[in-house]
Amino acid sequence: MSVLLAIFLMWAVTYPVRWLGLSLGRLHLPPFWLSFLQFVPVSVFAALVLPEVLGSPEWPRRLVACVVGGLLMWRTGSLAPGILGGFAAYWGARLLGL
Amino acid sequence: MPLWLGMIPFAVAYAVTARAAGLSVLETQLMSVTVFAGASQFAAAGLFASGANALAIVATTALLNARHVLYGLSLSRTLPLTRPQRVLAAQFLTDEAYGVAVVRGPQEPGGLSFAFLLGAELSLYFIWNASTLLGALAGAVLPDPAALGVAVVFPLAFLGLLVPLLKGRLTVLVALASGLGAWGLSRILPGGLVILLAGIGGALLGALLSTRSQNTEPQA
Repeated sequence: MSVLLAIFLMWAVTYPVRWLGLSLGRLHLPPFWLSFLQFVPVSVFAALVLPEVLGSPEWPRRLVACVVGGLLMWRTGSLAPGILGGFAAYWGARLLGL
Repeated sequence: MPLWLGMIPFAVAYAVTARAAGLSVLETQLMSVTVFAGASQFAAAGLFASGANALAIVATTALLNARHVLYGLSLSRTLPLTRPQRVLAAQFLTDEAYGVAVVRGPQEPGGLSFAFLLGAELSLYFIWNASTLLGALAGAVLPDPAALGVAVVFPLAFLGLLVPLLKGRLTVLVALASGLGAWGLSRILPGGLVILLAGIGGALLGALLSTRSQNTEPQA
């Protein structure tokens, strides 16, 4: 499948969901499914991060990067210092031969 | 304004990852113009890079963006919209726009209005797309993204989205279960499917545990 078709389909599954929510103001979802939707981001983000770190051939460097980056994000509450600090830590670990 | 500062590095990082995954500048930009959902765009870029099946990418997008139905439901309760307004507002509805509309909207004279919602949405849309273009062009100038270790930006960026969500034991438990589950599954299954299965599994676990604890709380 081409990249363009994939992008179009991504849009096709995103827009209707947003429209549906705006159009169904009176609908009440059961608590279980409300809770399911609220947990989707935490769950998907974690599933994206861990295999990319632990499953990588250069996992020690990436682990260092994510520990440093994660701590910076937690302490500063913002993304940019975390990404930059994490990337710097990655290079630090790489230059140290990790 | 602080939201813009958060979006710019994320959009730039998305664009660099997408370019490193082999997407053209046009394709990278087109995704920001049409899909306009940061996390799912970034996830798609990472999945394209790992050579995942396109249907798995679309399914992951659908799962990630299913939460937008919550924002719509919440907004339409406080802000009645006409049909053309809904058609327009839906294209630009994101986590950030919802957050701004719900927190700042009621402080406006006259309360939350369609104009305020659309203004918040469009300003974020503009920043997101301008930053995508910047990142896509910067990605073309970088000598060799792989040699620079740009791939590490992907887990870092998602860590940045994950960290603020980790409030309390239940979210940490869900994140650990889903993350470790995905790591285990990634040894036997292709990447796209892993994210989907672990993502659904973790959210089901969270829903199960939180609704059960709500049911038992009054007795405790």
